[in-house]
Amino acid sequence: MADVRKGDTVIVVGTRKGLFIFHSGDRRNWKSRGPFFEGQTIKHAILDPEEGRDVWAGVVTGHWGPTIQRSMDFGESWIRGKRDPHFSKESGLSVDRIWQIQPDLDGNLWAGVEPAGLFRSEDGGETWASVDGLNYRPDRREWQPGAGGLCLHTILPYPDDPRRMVVGISAVGVLGTNDGGRSWRVMNGDVRADFLPEKVTEEDQIGSCVHKIVRDSANPAILYQQNHCGVYRRQRGDPAWKAIERGLPATFGFPMAAHPRKAGTVYTVPLVSDFNRVTPGASMAVYRTTNGGGSWERLSTGLPQEGAYLTILREGMRTDQNDPLGVYVGTKNGQLYYSRDEGESWETMADLLPPIQSVDAGVAGGP
Amino acid sequence: MSEGEIRVRVMLPRALLEYSGGEDSVEMTAGTLAEVIVQLNSRFPGIGERILDDRGQLRKFVHTFVNQDSVSHLEPESVPLHPGDTVHILPSVAGG
Repeated sequence: MADVRKGDTVIVVGTRKGLFIFHSGDRRNWKSRGPFFEGQTIKHAILDPEEGRDVWAGVVTGHWGPTIQRSMDFGESWIRGKRDPHFSKESGLSVDRIWQIQPDLDGNLWAGVEPAGLFRSEDGGETWASVDGLNYRPDRREWQPGAGGLCLHTILPYPDDPRRMVVGISAVGVLGTNDGGRSWRVMNGDVRADFLPEKVTEEDQIGSCVHKIVRDSANPAILYQQNHCGVYRRQRGDPAWKAIERGLPATFGFPMAAHPRKAGTVYTVPLVSDFNRVTPGASMAVYRTTNGGGSWERLSTGLPQEGAYLTILREGMRTDQNDPLGVYVGTKNGQLYYSRDEGESWETMADLLPPIQSVDAGVAGGP
Repeated sequence: MSEGEIRVRVMLPRALLEYSGGEDSVEMTAGTLAEVIVQLNSRFPGIGERILDDRGQLRKFVHTFVNQDSVSHLEPESVPLHPGDTVHILPSVAGG
């Protein structure tokens, strides 16, 4: 297990040029490992949240296509499955990038890819099965990419019901299943879409540019969404999304992270707009709601407040499972900031990394 | 070598040596570029996915040559090989 000890907080950072792992026993003194996969883009990498042992990485090379690789010793060695997620030859589609790797509580591993597709592995990443009910929907021909590509970037299994799942596809929207993936319904009601003639999407209308979705930890039937055009909340049974933007300096942004224990507590990092994807006022701040989006507070102690034109991507923020909570934010500019007091104050873990694509946090050996 | 057998040499790029166990030059019997890729994948499982996409086409930024001639624009099945040919599999130049 290399020099990582059981109980260490482990931060897995995917960048444009390799994978870095940081770990610490006290969240003050950090050691780094890597880079692994030097020169290759890691769109998403995670530490298995339950066992806290396996690191999974979606590796993209410029020439040779994507692979999903697994390390069981914090990067000392990596193994590939027999075959990576792939579309059928007849579909005319081919996987370009891995955008999301997500385990569920039933031992399955899920992958979201570009062009948008969802795949499930029941054998620890050895083989992958296409979720055909989503991947080959008749309306697929109408799916349009966002600026980052036509990607399935968010996978949210439901904690107590393997039949339920929600996914996010840019720029298609939020889709949910209640039958284990056989059928999916679009869930885009009342979401602004400034780039469409009608400006707002109907519930079953595709074309919403979802950036990130998270579940409320205390009530997983509540979803929070950072969209291209706003910030929203929705509870199961609601006919549409409700805007929860009051108190935020901008409605545009990418990442979202939910507190793993506290109801209604969610973090986001607003950016100026889609035409200027940098932190507002050239100052870095994380915003937190503790009442389900009723209000937001600005958290910036220790973060740069002048000359900080930073961009945070959709996988650029994550919490750990510690108490008090750790929050980790990686920027496209190469800084990795962290808080070990739920966001009240921040420090810099690294500031010269390659552009950060994803951040994950967990505990070695499990929480 | 039996009469009519087409023996060729395949040169692999550094990025694929992790699949080939470090071998950068492989000899085999193959009549087309498609057969080369099939045999490579049989010998080094997984390497075929790095060269071909899900549709079975050469990946966009993979460049293939037979001797000095580029064949990247052709279907692998339609690229005939001759005894003594050398197949080069290379990453294309990226960037400007």
